[in-house]
Amino acid sequence: MTDQVTTTVPATGRSARSPRSRGGRKTVTAFLFLLPALILLGALIGYPVLYTAWRSLYDATGDGFLGLGNYVKMFTDPATFQSIRNNVVWVIVAPVTCTILGLIFAVLMNRIKWATAFKLIIFMPMAISMVAAGVIFRTAFQENPNLGAANAVIVGVHDLFDGGSEYPGARPRENAGIELKDDAIVGSGAVKPGGSQDFPLVGVKADSIPSTAETAKAAADAGGGEVTGTVWLDFVRGGGGEPGQLGDGKKGLPDVTVNAIDSSGAVVSTAKTAADGTYVLSDLKSGSYTIGLPSSNFTESFTGISWLGPGLVTGVIILAYIWIWAGFAMVMISSGLSALDPSLQEAARLDGANEWQVFRRITAPLLAPVLVVVFITLIINVLKIFDLVYVIPPGSSLPSASVIAVQMWTVSFGGGNDQGLGSALAILLLILVLPFMIINVRRFRRERDR
Amino acid sequence: MSAPGIVKPKRTLGGRIVGFFGRGVVNVVLAVVALFWLVPSIGLFISSLRDSKDIGQSGWWTVFTRPAQLTLENYAGLLGNAQFLGSFWNTIAITVPTTALVVIIGSLAGYAFAWITFPGRDWLLIVVIVLLAVPLQVSLIPIAKLFGSIGIFGSLVGVIIFHTAFGLPFAIFLLRNFFIQIPGELLEAARLDGASEFRIFTRIVLPLGGPAIASLAIFQFLWTWNDMLVALIFTNAGSQPVTVAIQSQLRQFGANVDVLSAGAFLSMIVPLIVFFAFQRYFVTALLQGSTK
Amino acid sequence: MKSRFGRRATAPLALLAVSALALTACSGGGDSGSGKLNGVTLNVAADWSGAEQKNFEQVLDKFSKDTGAKVNYTSYGSDVATTLGTKIQGGDPPDVAVIPQPGLLQDLAAKGNLIPLSDAVSETVHKNYSQDWIDLGSADGKEYGVWFKGANKSTVWYNTKVYDDAGATVPKTWDDFLKQLALISDSGTPGLSVGADVGWPLTDWFENVYLRTAGPDKYDQLSKHEIPWTDPSVIEALTVLSGLWSDSSLLQPGGAQRTFGDSVTAVFGDPPEAGTVYEGDFVAGNITSDTKAKVGEDAKFYDFPSINGSKNAVVGGGNVAVQLKDNKGAAALMEYLATPEAASIWVKLGGFTSPNKNVDTADYPDDTSRQIAEALVGAESFRFDMSDLAPSAFGGTKGSGEWQILIDFYSNPSDVQGTAQKLEDAAAAAWAK
Repeated sequence: MTDQVTTTVPATGRSARSPRSRGGRKTVTAFLFLLPALILLGALIGYPVLYTAWRSLYDATGDGFLGLGNYVKMFTDPATFQSIRNNVVWVIVAPVTCTILGLIFAVLMNRIKWATAFKLIIFMPMAISMVAAGVIFRTAFQENPNLGAANAVIVGVHDLFDGGSEYPGARPRENAGIELKDDAIVGSGAVKPGGSQDFPLVGVKADSIPSTAETAKAAADAGGGEVTGTVWLDFVRGGGGEPGQLGDGKKGLPDVTVNAIDSSGAVVSTAKTAADGTYVLSDLKSGSYTIGLPSSNFTESFTGISWLGPGLVTGVIILAYIWIWAGFAMVMISSGLSALDPSLQEAARLDGANEWQVFRRITAPLLAPVLVVVFITLIINVLKIFDLVYVIPPGSSLPSASVIAVQMWTVSFGGGNDQGLGSALAILLLILVLPFMIINVRRFRRERDR
Repeated sequence: MSAPGIVKPKRTLGGRIVGFFGRGVVNVVLAVVALFWLVPSIGLFISSLRDSKDIGQSGWWTVFTRPAQLTLENYAGLLGNAQFLGSFWNTIAITVPTTALVVIIGSLAGYAFAWITFPGRDWLLIVVIVLLAVPLQVSLIPIAKLFGSIGIFGSLVGVIIFHTAFGLPFAIFLLRNFFIQIPGELLEAARLDGASEFRIFTRIVLPLGGPAIASLAIFQFLWTWNDMLVALIFTNAGSQPVTVAIQSQLRQFGANVDVLSAGAFLSMIVPLIVFFAFQRYFVTALLQGSTK
Repeated sequence: MKSRFGRRATAPLALLAVSALALTACSGGGDSGSGKLNGVTLNVAADWSGAEQKNFEQVLDKFSKDTGAKVNYTSYGSDVATTLGTKIQGGDPPDVAVIPQPGLLQDLAAKGNLIPLSDAVSETVHKNYSQDWIDLGSADGKEYGVWFKGANKSTVWYNTKVYDDAGATVPKTWDDFLKQLALISDSGTPGLSVGADVGWPLTDWFENVYLRTAGPDKYDQLSKHEIPWTDPSVIEALTVLSGLWSDSSLLQPGGAQRTFGDSVTAVFGDPPEAGTVYEGDFVAGNITSDTKAKVGEDAKFYDFPSINGSKNAVVGGGNVAVQLKDNKGAAALMEYLATPEAASIWVKLGGFTSPNKNVDTADYPDDTSRQIAEALVGAESFRFDMSDLAPSAFGGTKGSGEWQILIDFYSNPSDVQGTAQKLEDAAAAAWAK
């Protein structure tokens, strides 16, 4: 376009230059403008890329030529596929979310008085180093509800509705005629009315036992239609006493629900233990019953969700990423918005367009160049994501969360010292970027021809 | 421009939704977002005020019920450490030149890609952007060898060059896309007046690119400031930046949340100052645009 | 009010850049002191940071005072192999590096990056160290290393109050160990806390069990991969471990995701969430900095229990000093580090065990550390941590090799055969290079 103008309009007062030499001078000028960048890029990025490509054709020591051997090894390793899969999830979810959030924030921000404060709050995570950010999320989402904020909230809410059990963690004493069945503790044998069933339990913390508990006593003999027994903590300090037998000051466990279950599985009668651990189940018709202590007595307190387990950990890491990089999108788009000429939008508003139309028809298209930069940068950034994925997952979840850059690090530097294989992985990463770039060539061409 | 008078906005669905977002609703929505966004940072900040013994025991929210556990020790420990304080100067010595170089070199190249036509331009641009995908780790060994043979391995110059090079792909991409939006007529007029490309660059393009350059500066500063890997390998004891200095404060096997959090907040101060200083340029330019 | 950013800011920025570059040229410059190394500057690197760094710097300070040399210390964090490797490539390695793995020493020696011990240093080493340690510092028949720091990795730490409440006693055998853990679990607190972390604590478990079930000779063979990981001795050790790790009544739940640090705070926190934790003597450091428990009172340790009547055995670790630049100063520093005087400085500061046999054990600041040191120096069977002897791809990498396979084994302890096979495959790949 510019070339046409210079040929048709005579240069005023300056020596006329022919189009050809003008174009040639242009190339020289361009060259000068580009020189510093090209030197640095070529030496510090370009050369290492070539080095890496060459290195990927050799084995770990650098001496044995493998040709495409490393690539074959890479593609036959299930860990590589898992990482590629994870990278794909990342690419689909993270850049779009960050860009949209950034856009929404940047646009809405113009309407509030405290915009600078808001900008600062959203931007601050970018200023925190990746390692510190990783530590924040790792700590917040850890399993232990005493230490991890996420589970603390979940357990807190859960416990509002479900108070928890009397004796969390109680287990039946081994070889004492009782067993664990579907989280309930039941007698191993059937009992008829007039019989008894005792429950020596272990694993109950001393401070779970209420002060009202008394020394466990043997239950009175059952009358007709009754089953009696005792539930007690079968533990003596130092391992003394007879396992499964009363005596030695073992404490009874009060307020334990006891059920009589008939052969069809229905609960026919229920009772609660007294302060000395004894209970009486009455009104039992003849037949045989299983006596059991339902699991509600013993369920361990709810400890929350395993956020960092293999299933959810990638989600947590992506969340951390969005927390950090939405700020990037917002700042970039905000600077793009501020470069727009507001008169166009004003004109549209005066013409009767509402806010949404102004945004859709005028603002958004004008923002397109910035949005492209943000989006593509995020996609590429996400393809080579390393720090967060290396720091957040615990060792047991790392294989399921791993991405290509982590694989590359583990293989080349983390002691693996197989620079050849690591280089192949790095080249894989570059190859994955190409599709996105090719899509954009057309866009660049279109812009050039404007 | 249409005739003056009150015009009713179109009542499309989109229009109604956006109309619903009156000032009040926007304020509430953004306030909720801001709150959620702040929670992890608050958690980190409170952790920086707790002793490592408490951090290992209970979550940071317990300070609300037991404020006595708050302590300034973590900060005192870092600020009292001469090596840590010294590292701040080193970090500035690395970050400021890098940012300046990236802005200068990046805008020169960005302008060339945007407004100077030359053969192979689009493909060269693609190559530059693809370089954005090269992870740092890949360059460590070849560049260490290269610098070693030139003799700048271990010096600040080497670190600065390294960071500058890796900052260029993003800088070029961003600035090129910004400069593209400058009205071609302006540049044409200047060319007709006989101005050289360089003149056009400095007198017209750079000033108009203010917001883009400001945001580039913010992020380049930030990324260089927070880098650890390159610093660890390419500097030595005298030239360590903050990130490496914090690393040396960590106990070998602990979780080190106390040191990391205090270190993170101390380290964050400078980039945030830079952010404040430069983000004015967005707002300023907004006002300036209307009086052009 | 045009934005003159491009113009105006460049000048001051450039000025700052130039002055920054000038400043760096002025750094360095030695302290004057009387001594034979006046004006010499030495660079030392290790993976110690925080409190350990301060203590080591005191050791270096005495050297500075005695010789007049200036010694700069840098911490490489946990990625010593990478950082050191890259610095060597760049032509700027430290004069002396103190590294945590003999495997790395072998690697560097093979590549010709290390300077062998001079005669003077070698003499000092032979005077102060047992043959085991001398061998560990050698490669291909030449001596390269001075073992400055040792670690006893056969210490089992317990919460005295939890043990007391349960009436548990210190076990000497594995069967008794399991019994005591059951007793503690019955009393309401899980007996043992395991932190799988990124896998290395689990390798230490394996090595202690293996040394006791298979004996020192087989241990050596497995270390060099002369027998495969599918050998019956390995199956036996894995089965013993499986007996412990599959009994969920003995363990605090959540071990697979727990870090090592958290496993220590679980045992010594308030309230304690388990009664026992196993790892090396550095647990004492975690207890002191991350919990309110006091070592020696609330927290004590006992030796890793014997299995099937095995002898008193210790799996140990350590850090070895190697020389990377050939100059007088570096050699003098190496000789200094081999002396008991150098070791004593840190010994007295605590948190440090010296493999130097001439260090006076009375110098240790408390009974616990003395006990640890005596166990290390006096063990009948002493072997170095096997995963540190292996190529790091197998024994020292987060995310792969022995570390990752054992994490999977912890989550699935019944799969003994499968685990052994996976270990063998990984080992074969690592040793093949």
